[in-house]
Amino acid sequence: MGGRLWRGVPLLVLALLWEGLTRGGLLPPEVLPPLDRVLERWAAFWWGGDLLPHLVTSLWREATGFSLSVAVGVPLGIGMAWVPRLRRACEPLLALSYPVPKQALIPVFMLWLGIGHASKIAVIFVGCLIPVVISSLNGARGVDPYLLWSATNLGTPRHRLLWRVIVPAALPDILGGIRMALSISFILLVTSEILAARAGLGYLCFFLGESGAYEEMFAVVLTVVLLGFGADRLYVQGMRRLLVWHLEEGR
Amino acid sequence: MRRLWRGLSPAATVYGLLLAWEGVCRAGLVTPFLLPAPSAIAWRLGQQLLAGDLAWHLALSLYRTLVSFALALLIAVPLGLAMGRVRGVRWFCEPLLAVGFPAPKIVFVQVFMLWFGLHELPKIAMATLEGIFPILSATYLGALGVDRSLLWSARNLGTGEVRLLWKVVLPAALPQVLNGAQIALPICFIVVFVTEMLLGGGGLGDAMMLAQRFADSRGVFAGIVTVSLLGYGTMRVVAWTRRLLLHWHVETQVRQL
Amino acid sequence: MAVKIEARGLYKVYPRDKGEAVPALAGLDLQVYENEFLAIVGPSGCGKSTLLYLMAGFLDATAGELLLDGRPIRGPQRDCGIVFQHFALFPWKTVKGNILYGLEERKVPRAERERLARHYIAQMKLTGFENSYPHQLSGGMKQRVAIARTLALDPAVLLMDEPFGALDAQTRRLMQEELLALWERKKKTVVFVTHDVREAVYLADRVAVMTARPGRIKAIVDTRLSAAARRHELLESEELVAKANAVWALVREEVEKSAALGE
Ligand SMILES: Nc1ncnc2c1ncn2[C@@H]1O[C@H](COP(=O)(O)OP(=O)(O)OP(=O)(O)O)[C@@H](O)[C@H]1O
Ligand SMILES: [Mg+2]
Repeated sequence: MGGRLWRGVPLLVLALLWEGLTRGGLLPPEVLPPLDRVLERWAAFWWGGDLLPHLVTSLWREATGFSLSVAVGVPLGIGMAWVPRLRRACEPLLALSYPVPKQALIPVFMLWLGIGHASKIAVIFVGCLIPVVISSLNGARGVDPYLLWSATNLGTPRHRLLWRVIVPAALPDILGGIRMALSISFILLVTSEILAARAGLGYLCFFLGESGAYEEMFAVVLTVVLLGFGADRLYVQGMRRLLVWHLEEGR
Repeated sequence: MRRLWRGLSPAATVYGLLLAWEGVCRAGLVTPFLLPAPSAIAWRLGQQLLAGDLAWHLALSLYRTLVSFALALLIAVPLGLAMGRVRGVRWFCEPLLAVGFPAPKIVFVQVFMLWFGLHELPKIAMATLEGIFPILSATYLGALGVDRSLLWSARNLGTGEVRLLWKVVLPAALPQVLNGAQIALPICFIVVFVTEMLLGGGGLGDAMMLAQRFADSRGVFAGIVTVSLLGYGTMRVVAWTRRLLLHWHVETQVRQL
Repeated sequence: MAVKIEARGLYKVYPRDKGEAVPALAGLDLQVYENEFLAIVGPSGCGKSTLLYLMAGFLDATAGELLLDGRPIRGPQRDCGIVFQHFALFPWKTVKGNILYGLEERKVPRAERERLARHYIAQMKLTGFENSYPHQLSGGMKQRVAIARTLALDPAVLLMDEPFGALDAQTRRLMQEELLALWERKKKTVVFVTHDVREAVYLADRVAVMTARPGRIKAIVDTRLSAAARRHELLESEELVAKANAVWALVREEVEKSAALGE
């Protein structure tokens, strides 16, 4: 616990530096508003209820797109490893879509689905799907064949191998891919909301910047950073618990 | 025959899909506004190529990418080496790395716009910031893992601490540094593209958003094809460079022995 | 004596994507009698593991016949338990979880499962490590888990691929005695692969010596020791040494051949 506090000190130093530079007049408030003002505005924003609806909107888009991609991607990846025909059919598509920067799809989805929830969810879904599928595929294909033999010898019929051996053995890879997808999902969320939206944290940040409310804007920037970081931390905690048996831990 | 089918099938899936797409468009099942035919997109790409405006946007985007990549390397490699070898630097930077890596840094585009305006600087700053993290974390881990006996023997020979970083730690950590760089370059390219989408000012991203604003879906799709090809190209180039550099790395090591 | 497993002209060729295919077994003939303890020795890479995998039904023979109880082996065999050379424990299961796995798959009632697991944990000297994961165990302990897991199912045929290879000398000795006691009590057919000629002679009724790759049976030596010699606390009984020397002379020729092949 002391170690964790100690690790927080550099962030505190940075915060003090921010406060000192702005209070000391080295940086004018139009460039960087003082941290205490930002925090004050942030609190007012939060209690005033202006932040919450945008936060909820963003989280809804994020959670839907992300969970859909996991729900589709994991079975698809494992299925591709299990059924050669499926793999042959899907692999070229995967190879083709892999190098497409997913942010470039935002305008297309806007074209198709407008600027509401649907286009954001779709972009997040597509962007997260690929790392999830690839990691599930690699994980399931990389299962030590001796483990499969060993399970067979201990009495597991073929159709149960999937659940009893392949899924647990591939779990570290799958969870790693999902973690990557999680960070991608936030990037896509914010980008698509800045680009075109009428609600959401990205939109809010853009709007506040345009209207010159810099203190509030910094408050939203901090919120987004914390959200991305917090989600990752939370995920890693859960992942550690699921993978106690695994040697290398996620950072 | 069966083998022929197997060898063909990956390409067959792709061609089949393209044909189906073309067919659907030709048959008028979707409006060309929602989904232009592949042939129309190819035609547009050809036009853009001939007109020369594609070359201009491309050059702009590549220029920004390379500048920000170089800056990211210049900042992240020394810092990563220092983090790996100097206690204080590690103590200060590690939490920042831990918070910054998973955070969606693209949101800083608003901040950079405030600081640097709309032109080159905010784009380059944004791409540099995003490029720094993978290089920093890889270099740091590489420097941390350098064999102690290597350091001891070099120090024993009278190498100073700063020279040690360049002469011993960097070469030893080179494979990891290159791993980080390999991840960072495509990221820099994509971030440049995205900031161009957000801020305008020329480049492939701007061109694509312009097409979108004018409801020119062929232009949008042509843009996607261009960035994808380019993204793929950068990945290949980096992988190739890495192999070349590592080859040289191994060779020089062998020669020294 | 009834023949339990019979190989007739068994061939196994491993295909390779690039380069030549590897012939692992080439025309192997062997009879394993019911309830006998047969050891297989031979130079490294001669196809011993391959032979066991064929017997367990994981691999298909390229040519030749392999029969279990007179019926050709096709697909995994339910009553052939195998102990893998490299353990193949499930890394996501604890020691106890690994031992319980096969019992669960066979729908053994819960109370019985627990009892068996406890019994084999104690017998394999794993008490105190029930809840450890494989990566927290030493090589020898992993090996004992792998043995316990297979023994718990009480298969009619035990295929063991260097099951004591990772054990220290003392534990190894104890395990050998345990295995012999178990075999005498339960009467199973055991096919036991080992590198250790002395171990083979000490444990087995017969020792099959394989040739260098591609593997064939070079000779089968009857090594049944007199009861007195087997009970002998020291491994140095004259009878054992003499038989071990005879087997070693055979193996040595093949090891030299295989070294000449650069393997
Ligand atoms: N999956 C495989 N693909 C190709 N070749 C293989 C494969 N498995 C084994 N071989 C080859 O077949 C030969 C026999 O292998 P096997 O594992 O049966 O030998 P072994 O007698 O058990 O050796 P050891 O005593 O070292 O365990 C070896 O030359 C090996 O290289
Ligand atoms: Mg073997």
